[in-house]
Amino acid sequence: MKKTFFTTFLLLTFFILVIFPQEEKKIASPLFEQPLLITSAGQSAEVRLASVLAKRGELNFILSKTATPKDLENIKTLALVLGVSLKGLGAAGLDVAKEKERVNLLIEEAQKKNIPLLCLHLGGEARRGQLSDAFISAFLPKAKMVIVVKSGNKDKLFTRICEEHKIPLVEVEKTVDTLEPLKNAFK
Amino acid sequence: MRKMKALFTKKTILSFITSLLLVFSFFCRPREIKIPEPPSDRHQPYNFVGRKGMVVAAHHLAAKAGLEMLKKGGNAIDAAVTTAFALNASEPFASGIGGGGFMVIYLASEKRVTVVDFREKAPSGIPREIFNDEGKIKPDGLAVGVPGTLAGWVYSLKKYGTKSLADVTQEAIKIAENGFAVSQTFSRINKDQYEKLIMNAGEGTCYLNEGFPYEPGDLFRNPELAGTLKLIASKGIDEFYRGGIAQKVVKAVNEKGGVMDLKDLALYEPVEHPPLQGTYKDYTLFTIPPPSSGGVHIIQLLNIIEDWPVKKWGSNSPPYIHHLCEALRFVFADRSRYLGDPDFIKMPVEELISKKYAKQIVFQIKPDSLLDFYPFGRFDERKNDQGNTTHVCVIDRKGNIVSLTQSINHFFGTGIVPENTGFLLNNIMYDFSHDLSSPNALGPYRRPLSSMSPLIMFKKEKPFLILGSPGGTRIFSSLTQIIINIIDFDMSLDEAIEAPRFFTYSSQGKPRSISLESRFPEKTYETLKNIGHSIRIREAFDKYFGGAQGILILQDKKVILGGADSRRDGYGAGY
Repeated sequence: MKKTFFTTFLLLTFFILVIFPQEEKKIASPLFEQPLLITSAGQSAEVRLASVLAKRGELNFILSKTATPKDLENIKTLALVLGVSLKGLGAAGLDVAKEKERVNLLIEEAQKKNIPLLCLHLGGEARRGQLSDAFISAFLPKAKMVIVVKSGNKDKLFTRICEEHKIPLVEVEKTVDTLEPLKNAFK
Repeated sequence: MRKMKALFTKKTILSFITSLLLVFSFFCRPREIKIPEPPSDRHQPYNFVGRKGMVVAAHHLAAKAGLEMLKKGGNAIDAAVTTAFALNASEPFASGIGGGGFMVIYLASEKRVTVVDFREKAPSGIPREIFNDEGKIKPDGLAVGVPGTLAGWVYSLKKYGTKSLADVTQEAIKIAENGFAVSQTFSRINKDQYEKLIMNAGEGTCYLNEGFPYEPGDLFRNPELAGTLKLIASKGIDEFYRGGIAQKVVKAVNEKGGVMDLKDLALYEPVEHPPLQGTYKDYTLFTIPPPSSGGVHIIQLLNIIEDWPVKKWGSNSPPYIHHLCEALRFVFADRSRYLGDPDFIKMPVEELISKKYAKQIVFQIKPDSLLDFYPFGRFDERKNDQGNTTHVCVIDRKGNIVSLTQSINHFFGTGIVPENTGFLLNNIMYDFSHDLSSPNALGPYRRPLSSMSPLIMFKKEKPFLILGSPGGTRIFSSLTQIIINIIDFDMSLDEAIEAPRFFTYSSQGKPRSISLESRFPEKTYETLKNIGHSIRIREAFDKYFGGAQGILILQDKKVILGGADSRRDGYGAGY
């Protein structure tokens, strides 16, 4: 009887490991330090979502939707929330070109100061499209880690870029599921 | 070998299979409600068909609720109000009892069209200046107008309907209690408006899922709204305008920096008046007069287009787009110059919708270039005069019709929810002009200028088309394009609704860029640029251009067709 159960257990373990490989790559050790500056790349509403996640994760953060290089003072991590919203850009008095320039300057300054970049895409499939994709392609390769809501990566754009640049990618089912990997990513 | 045999005994295999099933059932357990299966491609033109009656609305549950009312013997007004209540539960981000709107009603037995206006009004104590330098109204409570929806629905129901308030709220209560699976549209709008909801409704609101936006497929329930509707059904609308709900509305508005008082709500009354009438070729159109600009401008645009060879130019061809855009720029100049609340200013409406004035505009439009300036019309005889929504279409078996457009203005309105009520308050005050000298300037009890344009078209005195749309100032442009698509380009109803759209306007007399959906051929964009237009390409099916709902009545075939816009979650239910 004992043998039967033991064999079953072994077979089952083997089966689970083969059939259900873990989708989410666990981050072995925290990659980022606090405080973090959360800003938008495209002025979508998800930047606010990121701040609520950071608050719930009890992270020490500053939210600035239109952060500039001077906001990086005393910051240890730059979190970029990707996703273009024309409405959001309009409300912030920006256009696509100005926003791209702002984010570029911010990343350049962060690189100078050795501040690592964490990229988040929380808008799912709805926050993809020509404009958002252009921002994703431009900024994602500079990230040290990426968290994406699964439906936003249906076409594996994030997977391709992350594989090419050897960036750890964490896929989550829903926005709320971002909380754990976000918390775990910080010391 | 024996050992191997021992490993694969019946018991082992059975035990393995049982465990496997357990594991599978764990991984495959239902985690969320499935979204009802749409047609394989929701953007593919599809006409809903009926013979006796039809309801078209922006949510399948609301359309079905309206249809059930028709089947139970309710008339078009009963069904429209049922659908409208159901929309408050199923599409709460676009309309509801915290907002306002307009209803065009056709009474078949009397062959009469009438309009019920339940547009929100500015509170009596509203300050003269509420817009900041960025054009925002802060604090948010100041953006709330006195809601008119419930008063308008009940006025129409009592005067033209046959059912009780309890009857027409039943389905909405069920939807609010049982909930439904959130669609892509709901989820996306919820994410877009997240900041507002967090600020004004708080993390615990039912409009967020444990503090986060709803994902497609999540269950959305609103038991508090169900409770509110039950209360209204049993106590009548006095509960909303004079009772406990009124107190909650005033408290919520004022806590967010507004100035509404109980008297503002108690004094609110809807208005019934005759429709605005126009013609296009063999068709007669009935729509709403100010305080909406939509009706005036649809008639104005159709008058301008009437003499152009649009059929020869072709559907969505560069000359068609260019000419219509130039016409829109003239129309917007008139909009800002003349229109406002008719209770407070006089407007040259008859002149604006005259064929004579349209010809003056046609004469100025150049076929191959833009004008530098778009002047508003001048009418000598009156020169001293001062001066995000949803749509429901219903037709019943007797031929009574309702074309109803209603709103809480921006999606999710202000995001303010009066305590334990489950409904959202509008931010309609944004529809007033920032310019204090404008005919649409803010003032106590004034109704802000709207763009809503619910309409009914007749062909040889028989109902032909019921149409309307959300979409802010794009409404009358989009509806004009749909009408031309049907009448001049011989499209089926839903083909006309799904066809690519464009929009432009003028500001301070200067042309603004043309916004176009991304489905136009590249050559079209290039040709327009060569003419001198700057262009802005938007999504392929962009809700910026509205979410039109329509019913086409094919009198000769005795068939009713419903067209519902895939830019939102439109749905038709006929029988």
